Amino acid sequence: MVLRHNYIRIHIIFFYIPVFFSSGVFAVEKPYAPENIPGATRVSAEEVVDLILSNPDMIIIDSRKKTEYLKGHIEGAINILNTELALDDLEAVAPDRTQAVLFYCNGTRCLRSSDSIDKAVKWGYRKIFWFRGGWEEWKEKRLPVITE
Amino acid sequence: MRIESLSIKTVTVAVFAMLGVVAIILSVFAGTYFRQAALDAQMNSLSRVIEVASQEVLKEVRAYTFDLGMKLGHSKQLAQALQQADKSGGHDRLAALLDDPFINGFVGFSKVNLVKLRLYSLDLELVSESGAGIEGLDKHLSEYLAGTVVKRNKTDRLKTVDALWMSSQGPLYSTLLPLGGLRQIGYLEVIIDPAFNLPGIGKITKTPISVFSISGAQISTDERGNANQYLPVEFTMRMSDGEPAFRIVGYEDVDKLNRSMKKTQLVTTSGFLALTLGTLLFALWLFNRFLFIPVGRMVQDMKQIADGQLDLTVNKKGLREISVLANSFESMANQVKIRTNDLERLLDLDDSAILCFGNDAEAVYFNKVAIALFAYSDNEISDLDLGDVFSEDIVQLMKTPAPSNSLLQKHTLATRLSCIGKDGHVFQSDAVINALELREGFGYAIVLNPIADGKDDLLANYVVSSIEKNEQRMHAVEQSLNSILKIARDKQGLVSALGDIARPALPGRDSDGDKCLLREHAVTVMRSALACWEHDLRKTKLDLAEESRIWPVYIDKSTPTTRTLDKYLNIDSCPRNPRSQRVIDTAEFVLRQMNKKTTVGRKKLQKALDDFRLTISGIKSTSK
Repeated sequence: MVLRHNYIRIHIIFFYIPVFFSSGVFAVEKPYAPENIPGATRVSAEEVVDLILSNPDMIIIDSRKKTEYLKGHIEGAINILNTELALDDLEAVAPDRTQAVLFYCNGTRCLRSSDSIDKAVKWGYRKIFWFRGGWEEWKEKRLPVITE
Repeated sequence: MRIESLSIKTVTVAVFAMLGVVAIILSVFAGTYFRQAALDAQMNSLSRVIEVASQEVLKEVRAYTFDLGMKLGHSKQLAQALQQADKSGGHDRLAALLDDPFINGFVGFSKVNLVKLRLYSLDLELVSESGAGIEGLDKHLSEYLAGTVVKRNKTDRLKTVDALWMSSQGPLYSTLLPLGGLRQIGYLEVIIDPAFNLPGIGKITKTPISVFSISGAQISTDERGNANQYLPVEFTMRMSDGEPAFRIVGYEDVDKLNRSMKKTQLVTTSGFLALTLGTLLFALWLFNRFLFIPVGRMVQDMKQIADGQLDLTVNKKGLREISVLANSFESMANQVKIRTNDLERLLDLDDSAILCFGNDAEAVYFNKVAIALFAYSDNEISDLDLGDVFSEDIVQLMKTPAPSNSLLQKHTLATRLSCIGKDGHVFQSDAVINALELREGFGYAIVLNPIADGKDDLLANYVVSSIEKNEQRMHAVEQSLNSILKIARDKQGLVSALGDIARPALPGRDSDGDKCLLREHAVTVMRSALACWEHDLRKTKLDLAEESRIWPVYIDKSTPTTRTLDKYLNIDSCPRNPRSQRVIDTAEFVLRQMNKKTTVGRKKLQKALDDFRLTISGIKSTSK
C-alpha cells in the first residue's frame, strides 16, 4: 500500500507536472514590441522606401538571425544580430553618430531591433529610424527583396 | 357506402390509420427535404472550400513567381541589358537573358508552368520578351495590370502586382515586379499558365476535382464512376477583373451522408408508425372503455325496452353524454309505459273482451278478458289475425250496406260473432265492432260479451246498452290508440304490436306491388330455410319452431301444430305485412345451425336471404 502511494507521488512529480507546465497551459504569449522607442523615429515600409531613395547613405541594420537574412532582406541591409551588436561593429558601418541608421527585424512581435536601438541610443546615435513592421510588413506589401 | 353502416369503432380506426399514413408520408417528404437541405449545405460548404483552396494554390504560385521575378529583377546583367536595349544587339541580349530560366531552370521550375517573361519600360511599353514559351500573346501589358500600376504613386509602384487575366491563348497568371530593385528602371512580367496548378486544389480539399475552361473544354479530370456516391459541386474561378476564368468541379463523397440519411428516414418513419399504432391502440382502449362498451350496453338495453320490456332500465354507466342519452330514452320509455298502462286500464274497466286489429286484419291488442276468453298467451297474439279468432269475415261485415236495423250507427256494427278459441272450440258472443279511424290508417276494435245460455233474446237490449255504455269508452280507446301510435311512429318497434298500424304509407314503398314482392321473398326465404332444415339437418318443421323459439307451437286437439309458421310457407296464406325480422331470424338460425356446411340448399337460402334484405332496404326496388 505504501509502495503504491509512493509510486503515484513519483509519477505525479516526474510526469504530470512537467507535462502540465510544458503543455502551454501557462505559456505566455510572445510580447509585442513597444509602440515607440525614445530616441528613435518609427517609420512604415513606404517611408523606408522614401528614406532609402532620398538618403542613399543611410545605414540599414537587419537585426535578425543570419539564416533569416539570407532568405530575404531589404536591399542594402547589413545583418548584425541584436545580441552580437557591439559598439565597434556599429561604429565600423556608421562612424558618424549623426548618420541615419535604420533598424528592422521580423515584425511587431520581434524585440531584436528594439534591443539594438536601445543600444545605439545608449551609444549616442541620434538619427535612428525604427521600421517596427519589419520584414513581415515588407513582404506583405510585396516590395522588392534581395535573396542570397 | 351509407353512413349508417359505419360504426364509431370503424371510423376511429380509419381516422387513426389515415393519420398514420399521412404521418408516414410527411416523414418521408420531410426526410427527402432534409436530405436535399443537407446536400445543399454540403455543396455550399464544398464550394467555399474549393474557393479557399484555389486562393491557396494561387498564393503558392505567386510565391514562386515573386521569387523568380526578384531574382531576375536584381540581376545586374538584365538591368544593364535593359539600359542598353536600344543599342545594337541589345534586344537579342535581353531575349537571351529572358530565355535563361526556360533553359537553365529556376527555383520552383517544376512547381509552375512558366510561359513567358516580358520586360517593360517605366511607361509600361513592352521592351522585350523571351523567345521561349507560348507565342501569339498581345504585345502589351494586360489591361487590368496596366490600370492598377498607373493608378499607383511612385512608392507603391515598387510593390508587386499579380493578376489572372484572359489572353488570346486562354487565362494566364502574371506577376509584375519592379526591375532594378528600389531604384526601378522598368518592369518584369512573369507569366505562368494557372491550369498547371489548379489540379492541386484537389490535394487541399482532399476530393477529386475536374477543371474545365469556361467554354467547357476539359483541362484536367478526376471523375468518379459511381454517380450516386459522388456529388458534383461547381465553383467558378474568376479573373482579377471579375470575369469567369475556370469552372472547377469537385466531387464530394456523399455515400456516408446517403447512408445516414436513409437510416434517419427509416428511424423516423418507423417511429411515426410505432407512434401511430401506439396512439391507435391507446385510443381504441380509451374509446372502448368509455364509449363503445357503455354504448353497446345501452343499445342492448334499448333494444330490450324497444321489444316491449318497459320495466327495464338503461345502463347509464359511461360519459356524461351517454348518461344524458340513457336518461332521455328512459324518460321516453316511461312515458310510453304510462300511456300504455292508461290505455290498458281503460280497456280493462269491465268484463268485456276487447280485441284490436290492424288494417291488414292482424291482431294488435287483446285485453286481459280477451286473452282469457280465447286462451292465448301474450306472445301469441301478434301472430293472430281476424280469421284465427272469428269465423265471420269482419272486414266484409263492416262493408255490408247498412240494414234497416237502427243498431248500425256510423262506423259501429253490433252483431253476434262465432269465436274460435285456441283449442279450436267455437263459441257465440255478442259483439260491437267499431271501425277506428286512426291518424294514419284504420283498424277495428271489437268488444265481445259471451252469451249466457238461454239469453239470446237479450241481444238487442245488450247491444243498445253496450253501444251507449261504450260510446264514450270507444272514443277514449280511439284517443289512447292515437296517442300510442304517435309514440310508435317516432320510435318504431318501441310499441311493436302497433307497428303496422303506426307506420305511415310511404309512397312507392308500401304499395301493393312492393308488399306482394316482400311476401314472395319472405315465402322463398322461409321455404329455403325449411328445405335446408329438413334436407341438410334432417329435422322437422316442428323442431324448427321449438328450437328456434321464433315461431309459436299450438296444440290442436292434443296435436302440436305450427300454424303461424305454416302461413309463411304459402304465398296465399302469408300475411299481408309479413314479420320480416322473424323471417330473417329464422334464416339466420338455420344458417347458424348448419355451421360451415356448404350445400346447394345453403347457397339458395343465403341468396334468398340477401334478396329479401335488399327488398326490405328498398335497394332492389329502387334499382329496378
